[in-house]
Amino acid sequence: MADLRKFLRERWRYIDAMLAVAVIVGSLAYIYDLLVGSRGLDVAYITRNYGLYVHAVLTNVYATTIAFLVGMAIGFSVGWLRTARTMPLAKFVLSLRAERRARSEDREVIKADSGFLIFFSLLWYGAKYVVRRIGDGFVEIIRGTPLYVQILFASSFFIVFLREYATEGLLIGIITLAINTGGYQAEIFRAGLQTVHSGQIEAARAIGFSRLRAMRYVILPQALRLIIPPLTNEYIGLFKASTFLFVLGVQTEISYIALHEGYAGDVFEIFAMVTAIFLAITVTLSFVVQSLERRFRIPGLGIEAVRKPRGVKMPAPVA
Amino acid sequence: MIRVNDVQKHFGALHVLRGITFEVQKGEAIVIIGPSGSGKSTLLRCINLLVEPDSGQVFIDGVQVNRHGIRHEWVRQQVGMVFQSFNLFTHLTAIDNVTLGLTRVKGMTHDKAVEKARELLARVGLAAKENSYPAELSGGQQQRVAIARALAMDPKAMLFDEPTSALDPEYIREVLDVMTALAREGMTMIVVTHEMGFASNVASRILFMDAGKIVEEGSAEQIFHRPKEERTRSFVSKILR
Ligand SMILES: Nc1ncnc2c1ncn2[C@@H]1O[C@H](COP(=O)(O)OP(=O)(O)OP(=O)(O)O)[C@@H](O)[C@H]1O
Ligand SMILES: [Mg+2]
Repeated sequence: MADLRKFLRERWRYIDAMLAVAVIVGSLAYIYDLLVGSRGLDVAYITRNYGLYVHAVLTNVYATTIAFLVGMAIGFSVGWLRTARTMPLAKFVLSLRAERRARSEDREVIKADSGFLIFFSLLWYGAKYVVRRIGDGFVEIIRGTPLYVQILFASSFFIVFLREYATEGLLIGIITLAINTGGYQAEIFRAGLQTVHSGQIEAARAIGFSRLRAMRYVILPQALRLIIPPLTNEYIGLFKASTFLFVLGVQTEISYIALHEGYAGDVFEIFAMVTAIFLAITVTLSFVVQSLERRFRIPGLGIEAVRKPRGVKMPAPVA
Repeated sequence: MIRVNDVQKHFGALHVLRGITFEVQKGEAIVIIGPSGSGKSTLLRCINLLVEPDSGQVFIDGVQVNRHGIRHEWVRQQVGMVFQSFNLFTHLTAIDNVTLGLTRVKGMTHDKAVEKARELLARVGLAAKENSYPAELSGGQQQRVAIARALAMDPKAMLFDEPTSALDPEYIREVLDVMTALAREGMTMIVVTHEMGFASNVASRILFMDAGKIVEEGSAEQIFHRPKEERTRSFVSKILR
């Protein structure tokens, strides 16, 4: 009994994977039976055409990957921006006034340059406020509108303003996808950056790191580890969303389905191929990511952080 | 070594430091006590400019540090700081916590930094733990690594902000021992703590702060047993109990 439990514990990952495979295979078999049934599988069609589909999917992988990487840069910048603290303008002015009053009460003289000071803090505040609001708007617009509409919008934008590139479907597609995923990744990055405890930045700055280098050497390494799972999710989502590019005339597997004369007869074969290719790619990806996560795993970072180390009282609530 | 002259600090309308003036000689260790919210942490942060004073001057080694043209990053390398909540870099092992500042701020080569870090970890009694992550260390061990990390920058002085108040009693001793040894070796230290034993044995002076002011200053014997001010008396009676 104890042996069995030990065996289960040690092998659990494999057992888990095998169970998942069994469920997937079972479901596929059921669908196969439903769609193909007695008609029989048109193997000849698959062997004749799978090359085309693989090629089409590779276009997707290519577009997705480039868009994703560009989107990471956008997402990181916008996400970082959105961690900046701003308060409503009215409250800010009130607090400035209160500060001035408090100072004049106990020091009689207000410093001569306090007018300047207020001017510059207002200017700095204004700049921060505007940039921050642009970031907010960007994220809301990207999240709030369908990708399909965004693609059509980008395409019309090119037709009106950049005629000579209007036929470069893949280019327009990649740009749109990059901006789209940038909006989603901004939120992922923001969450990641904000999850890293503020004491970490403080400690880094206390030994002489600048804000930028503290970000580079202390915050990002932790934040990136925390956001691997949602980033993977986003990549897979983007990969599937990239099938939308057929609207721009990019040949993706969906357009093969739409165009092919076999549309009427060989539905199952086509879907089987597309499903198999997509699954192969996403499953491989999640295996790679899982091993990456294990490789870079750090005790105490992430879910485990909830466990308290020995000999530490839980922090007292701040007065 | 460290001189603070009439430092004021507001957070919005909240007046946290109301004209703080004191001086710490080279090699001296002083202890600051005071009720919660009296501005002890803020004062320490003003000294290494994690918080910028509104007015007044902070001098380190005769140089006024809170003025234009002095880089904050430079100032912070001159004074080490140890936090109540340790704040070790979670993603780095004990030794990497110590070397990060050496290689990335001081530009030391990796080999030299490792050598120096090993020395420091040995000094705080953690030579065997260099490859442990913070989460694998006890609170007391984490705080000692944090002390080593601060010492690595070769600071002229050290600031301790309640270094033991997040620790269970059995781990407090080991941290205080390290701090005592440091003081004996002649490190200039400003320690915010309510550990009476440490204050009596190590501190040359004790400052009692309340509501943003230094209310009373004197030897441990005077502050703990013959306080002049009523506020000091009532606070001390609470922590002595
Ligand atoms: N960054 C900040 N913004 C606004 N208010 C602050 C900030 N930091 C501190 N304060 C306020 O300043 C006051 C003094 O805080 P400080 O942390 O210096 O007190 P303390 O003496 O260290 O108290 P404790 O013993 O609880 O640590 C508190 O009322 C606190 O709420
Ligand atoms: Mg404090």
